Amino acid sequence: LNMPLSTQSQTDDEFYVFVATLDNARNLSNLLKAIAFKDHAIFTATPNGLKVTVEDSKCMQANAFIQADIFQEFTIKDDLVGFQVNLTVLLDCLNIFGGSTVPGVSTALRMCYVGYGYPLTLFLEEGGVVTVCKINTQEPEEPIDFEFCSSNVTNKVILQSESLKDAFSELDMTSEVLQITMSPAQPYFRLSTFGNSGNAHYDYPKDSDMMELFQCTKTQTNRYKMSLLKPSTKALALSCKVSVRTDNRGFLSLQYLVRNDDGQICFVEYYCCPDEEGEEE
Amino acid sequence: MKFRGKIIDVACLNHFTRKSHICSKTLTKTCVLRLTPDNLFFILSEKVANGGVSMWCELAQANFFDEYQMEGVTQEDNEICLEVAPENLARALKTLQNAKALKVKLTKKHCPCLTIPTLSTVSRVVMHDVPVDVIPRKLWHEFKEPHMPNFDVSIYLPPLKTLKNVVDRMKNLSNFLVLEANMSGEMNLKIETDLVSVTTHFKDLGNPPWGEDGSQRDSDAMAQARLDVRRLQQFLMGQQVNPTKALCNLVHQRLVHLILLHEDVSLQYFIPTVA
Amino acid sequence: MDCVVTGGNVKVLAKAVHSLSRIGDELYVEPQEDGLALRSVNSSRSAYACFLFSPQVLKFCVCTNSTKQHKLSVQSVFRSLATLEKTVEKCHIKLDEQKSRLTFTLHCKHGLVKTHNLSFQDSESLQAVFDKDSSANIFRAQPRLLVDTVVHFPPSLEEITLSVSDDRMWFKNHVEEDAEPSKAMLTELCLSSDEFDHFSVQTQNSITFCLKELRGLLLFAESTGLPISIHFDEPGSPVVLSVTDSVLDGNFVLATLSDENNTHKRNSRSCTQPLPPPDDFMNDDMDSYLIAMDTSIVPEPSVTASAPLARAESSKHSSVNHRTQQHSEDENETDETDHTAGPPNKKFCSLFFGSVLPPPSQMSTQPITTQEVLASDSEEETQLE
Repeated sequence: LNMPLSTQSQTDDEFYVFVATLDNARNLSNLLKAIAFKDHAIFTATPNGLKVTVEDSKCMQANAFIQADIFQEFTIKDDLVGFQVNLTVLLDCLNIFGGSTVPGVSTALRMCYVGYGYPLTLFLEEGGVVTVCKINTQEPEEPIDFEFCSSNVTNKVILQSESLKDAFSELDMTSEVLQITMSPAQPYFRLSTFGNSGNAHYDYPKDSDMMELFQCTKTQTNRYKMSLLKPSTKALALSCKVSVRTDNRGFLSLQYLVRNDDGQICFVEYYCCPDEEGEEE
Repeated sequence: MKFRGKIIDVACLNHFTRKSHICSKTLTKTCVLRLTPDNLFFILSEKVANGGVSMWCELAQANFFDEYQMEGVTQEDNEICLEVAPENLARALKTLQNAKALKVKLTKKHCPCLTIPTLSTVSRVVMHDVPVDVIPRKLWHEFKEPHMPNFDVSIYLPPLKTLKNVVDRMKNLSNFLVLEANMSGEMNLKIETDLVSVTTHFKDLGNPPWGEDGSQRDSDAMAQARLDVRRLQQFLMGQQVNPTKALCNLVHQRLVHLILLHEDVSLQYFIPTVA
Repeated sequence: MDCVVTGGNVKVLAKAVHSLSRIGDELYVEPQEDGLALRSVNSSRSAYACFLFSPQVLKFCVCTNSTKQHKLSVQSVFRSLATLEKTVEKCHIKLDEQKSRLTFTLHCKHGLVKTHNLSFQDSESLQAVFDKDSSANIFRAQPRLLVDTVVHFPPSLEEITLSVSDDRMWFKNHVEEDAEPSKAMLTELCLSSDEFDHFSVQTQNSITFCLKELRGLLLFAESTGLPISIHFDEPGSPVVLSVTDSVLDGNFVLATLSDENNTHKRNSRSCTQPLPPPDDFMNDDMDSYLIAMDTSIVPEPSVTASAPLARAESSKHSSVNHRTQQHSEDENETDETDHTAGPPNKKFCSLFFGSVLPPPSQMSTQPITTQEVLASDSEEETQLE
């Protein structure tokens, strides 16, 4: 709100197609950390807000959504503004002052983009010190459309993240796949690994107090590459609830509800294709 | 040649541990400990010509030691010069965190050693023998207090913690950093790579008065130094305690001279520029 | 075997598995009439550990006495101790010999059930032979005493030397044979007999053994609050560290460096040498220990040195000087440094005959006495001589 830079950059504003400001840069950087498993990140800004997409080997996609009203200022001159930046670099810039978690100390951010061929410019300020970053941008690639639509969802559960954190933190990484079973009957919701020393199953009963919603219509067992799902642990760690859905093709959607420093709600979503080699047990 | 010292006061002890950490947390393999009747010096002298840094840290013994006795090599050269691995020293002092008292003495064991018995809170004596090399007098000239360079700009440093955060992030992005400052209290840190350019602007830092102000320098003109980021990180490492004064002297495109003054410890650090 | 472990005992079981995993990757599980034995051995067979849980821990235990024991990797079950303590209410262990499968079922809070099916290999009996009760030197201490002791040594330190006199115990870091003496830092501390619950010394001597396994046992002992007993005889014969209470018995058997090796150590005090008196910290007389260094350290008139000498020169001077004082011992040892140092464990004797090694040249079906086991291992030293 009291951004010392706002006055000096006001005059430039007319050149920018996209300007967004945040009193606390952590509200952006934390969400981006939850999807930071590859360098390339596609930014898509619309009047509704900002979507940042990261993909891995055409089989997995992660999206972070920050609605427009999370930002103190969110100005966009087109219906859609898109560009691609290096996410690791962006995160280092956003945390240039250390990303302090001390209450009352925060980094203010102003993020501006002129358009194709121009860098993404960040103005960051903390304690009167100002950092200006110009991050080179590229033309955005088209994000993969996983065609995951809610009308095709076969099974859905919503769990408190706490209960999954435990499981994900001790997953047997010698297992190439994570198998997810969802069923209206026993075992209801099961995570399985098949590692060097043996197999393991984690069973969540449908009446567990960790289970906020249980809507399974058909028994489905699908395997997903562990290497693709492991990065979602970062999102899980930040979140308070997670919705696990599978559609009729066995595609997986993990939606994480994340509460930021100011108590506002944002979402991180992971999509993953089923592993074709793995067959049902 | 004799040396022994004793610290019984817990406050002094903590103080000493903290301060010697400042000196020992450098990345180098060895440093020189010079003992005189009044002072202890930790000295690092890499050849600046080879891109090395040098450090000069001075502690007034009376501020730390309850007892301090030494006999130098001779009456005229009443000093002792020892080469010691900071890592070993840090390790010996690490366990001090819950100690009650400390002694340091120069002994001859399997080799010359600084023997450091510490008394833990449960009254147990833990003995550390830190091997040292005794440096002969003919090499002492290498460890004299460095001259103040003929700097272009002298400026107070921003809070070291902020500086450290910024430098650490910049290190993630680039191996080299440009430090520039002027006589109007402004200092910038800059990096530039294929992917990104980052500039952090500090202002209103103030410039220390060095007496005669005869320089014709334009107060807004920046003096610049391009540095290996690791060297600057090395200096900032372990600077948890904010010094009473921290300042930076810049010799344009040649050298950065950093000075930290705590009440009873002074630390000088020299970082040469890189092309 | 089919048994249930509940409440706090799950934690004890998990801690035991954790400290065993510090020794070897694989766990040997053997259901016995008098409980469940969990064992582990390191790759060089110089360290062995065993926990025996009594049937009181294993509620409702149906133990079919099996002659076999089963080798498996079990870390995955108890990966996170922190969450385990908070969440696990009951642990069900079931052995299915037909399917070669050992199943751990952890019943956790919120109804979550974790099932680990571990496949195993049958193996020969893994059993180190030791007789700790006849040891010459026996001690017992609260875990905190030993935890406070090892904390002074760096995590990277491989071996530690323990020396005893009638009323004191010294710990010091063991310096590798190939280490340069002028670079080796020594740390030493002394415990007095009254800090121990039990302190009995028949032979004043020193042993050197691996610190890693001791730390492993300390983790267990500290969390369970059980005192640790130390039993040993002489250099070269194993040291036994044990914890015990009404429901469990844990023994860590660690090889020690043999005396031959030990006396070659430049820094190791031979057991015949008297141990130094403890440093009287507060009341020492300044002059009593102010060991005068050779002030002649710059004996040559420094003015004559025309060219500046290399820094290395200075260390040479000092070593020459102290050799004159430290007499011939130094020279003997300098020769030793030429020995190429093998992996650290090489110096230790294996604690076993072929029992767990694939080609058992001598089948050890009968218990063997400790002496025999150790006698069989002296080959390496003879080669050294």
